[in-house]
Amino acid sequence: MAAPNFQGRHMRQPSKNTLLKVVILGDGGVGKSCLMNRFVSNHFDEHSFHTIGVEFLNKDIEINGEVYTLQIWDTAGQERFKSLRTPFYRGSDICLLTYAVDDRTSFRNLALWRNEFLYYADVKEGMTFPFLVVGNKVDVSSEQREVSCEEARAWCMENGNPPHVETSAKDATNVEQAFSLAVESWAHLEAKLDRPYIGDTVDLRRQQPEQRSSCCLSVGGNTE
Amino acid sequence: MDELNDQGVELYSHHGVLVKSQNQIRDDDSHCSGTLSIIEYSGIGKCIEWKPTEVLVDSETNDQEWAMVNAVGRRNRTSSGSNESQSRCRSVRIEVAHLKSFRVTRNRQQVTLMERDGTTHSVFFFQHGNADCFVAALKGNIKTVRSKKDKHLYIVPDEPESQLDRSFAELELFTENTTDVVWKFVRNLHHRPYETTLETFAKLTDIWLFKSSEQRREEEVAELLNRSLTLNETSADAIGEEYAVVDLRNGPLLPPRPPAPRGPPLSIEQWAQFQDEDGHIVEVEILKDIIFRGGVVPNLRYEVWKFLLGYFPWDSTHADRQKLRKQKVEEYFQMKLQWRSITPGQEQRFSDYRERKSLVEKDVNRTDRTLPFFAGENNENLMLLSDILMTYVMYNFDLGYVQGMSDLLSPILCVMTNEVDAFWCFVGFMDKVCSNFELDQAGMKQQLQQLHCLLSVTLPDLSAYLEKHESGNMFFCFRWLLVLFKREFSYQDIMRLWEVLWTDLPCPNFHLLLCVAVLDTQQHILMENNYGFTEILKHINDLSLHIELDSTLSKAEGIYHQLTSAICLPDVARKIIGLDPLGGPDTLEQKEPLQTTDIDNGLKVEEGPESLETLTFSPRTGEVAFERSLNLNYL
Ligand SMILES: Nc1nc2c(ncn2[C@@H]2O[C@H](COP(=O)(O)OP(=O)(O)OP(=O)(O)O)[C@@H](O)[C@H]2O)c(=O)[nH]1
Ligand SMILES: [Mg+2]
Repeated sequence: MAAPNFQGRHMRQPSKNTLLKVVILGDGGVGKSCLMNRFVSNHFDEHSFHTIGVEFLNKDIEINGEVYTLQIWDTAGQERFKSLRTPFYRGSDICLLTYAVDDRTSFRNLALWRNEFLYYADVKEGMTFPFLVVGNKVDVSSEQREVSCEEARAWCMENGNPPHVETSAKDATNVEQAFSLAVESWAHLEAKLDRPYIGDTVDLRRQQPEQRSSCCLSVGGNTE
Repeated sequence: MDELNDQGVELYSHHGVLVKSQNQIRDDDSHCSGTLSIIEYSGIGKCIEWKPTEVLVDSETNDQEWAMVNAVGRRNRTSSGSNESQSRCRSVRIEVAHLKSFRVTRNRQQVTLMERDGTTHSVFFFQHGNADCFVAALKGNIKTVRSKKDKHLYIVPDEPESQLDRSFAELELFTENTTDVVWKFVRNLHHRPYETTLETFAKLTDIWLFKSSEQRREEEVAELLNRSLTLNETSADAIGEEYAVVDLRNGPLLPPRPPAPRGPPLSIEQWAQFQDEDGHIVEVEILKDIIFRGGVVPNLRYEVWKFLLGYFPWDSTHADRQKLRKQKVEEYFQMKLQWRSITPGQEQRFSDYRERKSLVEKDVNRTDRTLPFFAGENNENLMLLSDILMTYVMYNFDLGYVQGMSDLLSPILCVMTNEVDAFWCFVGFMDKVCSNFELDQAGMKQQLQQLHCLLSVTLPDLSAYLEKHESGNMFFCFRWLLVLFKREFSYQDIMRLWEVLWTDLPCPNFHLLLCVAVLDTQQHILMENNYGFTEILKHINDLSLHIELDSTLSKAEGIYHQLTSAICLPDVARKIIGLDPLGGPDTLEQKEPLQTTDIDNGLKVEEGPESLETLTFSPRTGEVAFERSLNLNYL
């Protein structure tokens, strides 16, 4: 019940926070802007406009006692504007690959988005970059659903095994969780990079999907 | 949920402060009245908070940006129960530590707060009294400096003394006190000079690297963006010149900006006088001038827009137009039938078509839905919007549907209300702006470059500032240009603006001067806030619905007059606004060596062969510096 009612941010000493650049990618209309607005200002506007150019919002998020400032970049999904979108991938710390569960095409295009990101963000280690796969619009009726949770999981397994979560920007399901999950995933990878010799060789990230990306678990539930 | 005041100590509060919502409401003027306070929390420190007391939907006072609302007297008109209205008036909290600057305007009744990351907060309007008390309270809690360039702007200076210390301390690189580290360094230097230095500097390097990584990132993004925005030039000599066209920082080139008053809109009586009995429109130039100066009254739009958009020729008669319309109706439905008769089976095997159709559907559902005309489920006008766009796809299949088109069609459909007229007017509009939507984005790139060029002659300081801050590519104006300010103004204003622009007066590319005018208003804010690439982008995005149309148009016209009467306006800029090149087309052919022209007020123009012009000015010698390696591909 922390008041997500405010547009402002919540922490003092902004310079202390780790700044993470997050980009949200996915086909036009899957709900990228809605996800960002739900997360940042806990607000859903059914009739918001499609995005022209790029927009970004900042939001502080506290995870395991650490405060991060997320700088979230939202771009237009249409192919035509690709050349103006891709420069903003550079220097990203986290990438949300988004599809809508009621839009099969958007799911099929995930691979394209992933490749586009890896190429333009100039990421060396694609397999260890903190991606998060987000299936939005989970509030739609089961007849409208075109992509099952299992299918999406299967896709993730074959593509570097990023965590997967199903969200609804409309009713706020899993939106905060999605961003937290992404940051945790980042922090985890970062810790491994910082201390390559500490700990064992087990890739902890591979254990995550079991406990975390349980999309089927919290579908339809409310954020707490 | 409303626990704003529960913890924390209220240091100041002011009731009856209106917020004009920042959301993209274009059809009504909704203001929320609330309380603005400064509260100190033990956890997060001092905050500025605004909390709504009620929601006012005020439509009577449409033409005033701020409705003066008597909260008690109009209580019956409040709609605080409505979910949607409520959501527009969310509480605002700004940590004082995040405050970068604030601006006090409109008789000191209006305050705009800007944060360090470029966020501009909803403008606060003090209905009772003025903002003086609030400003005084704010100044009591933070150090502020009044801007020398913009007397309305107050800046919260960064704290220089603590800046570095804080970085050291917060990075927790040194477990000890920073000063101790330095002393230890000095002490140990004698004993182990090499190791000591390395050890300490390794830590320092970390800081420099850390500090600059954010900036490096921005630079990289900007660099890539520059590449994306560069026109694919064929000639090698043009490369690298796209953004550095003019450098006039050293001296004033333009004469003072003359005032350019706006006028009343074209009235029904006036319009009648411009038609002879057959229906020819006479004295079109005078007519256009009236429209340029004040637009047309809303009731006339249905008629006048058809001429402005080239659907009806000015010199046609009533009879001609009737005939033309009949023809156009037929032609429209013929094209509509083409896509309507595609069978589901065909559609399945026609991916190009499917793709376009899906794009149209997605966008139509997100176009001006807050407007009553397009509101609600299964709205018929929404169907029309979609049908017209689909028919346009058949009309111009190569271009197809590109995001942004629905924005351009919406006001036209709203005025025309019928499918056929709206379609042909839309075609006329698209003819003017279709280069914005080309596959290679060449039209957009060119406009951004032209804008940069005009900016550099009009506002050289800002232009230089933008260049220094990775923003010389003008990408932050992309949305303005793509949909001709559709997202930046209210619905009423956008109709006015477009009819003004459709007159093509006073010059080609007047919309670029409008961009310059907006930037003129913002220049001190951008520079004094020391905004970088991302903050500039954010600030400009946040201007949406906060730009005054009439004063901006007037300013843009003033700039136009400045440019036309400038003595040595570079040809590259002259061409953009349709002026004959100074050198004249002949200069390029005369393969003469550098020639020098002395102009009476001390300006010296040197013109060389191959379009290489140099113009120098230095305040001491009275010379203007203008360097140009012009690429001839500008037109
Ligand atoms: N049912 C449902 N609809 C949603 C949800 N999120 C977004 N939408 C709707 O989906 C449409 C598209 O959402 P946007 O956020 O504009 O999509 P986008 O991905 O930003 O699209 P572009 O800006 O064109 O790239 C809007 O009409 C939203 O109302 C959701 O969680 N559930
Ligand atoms: Mg969007």
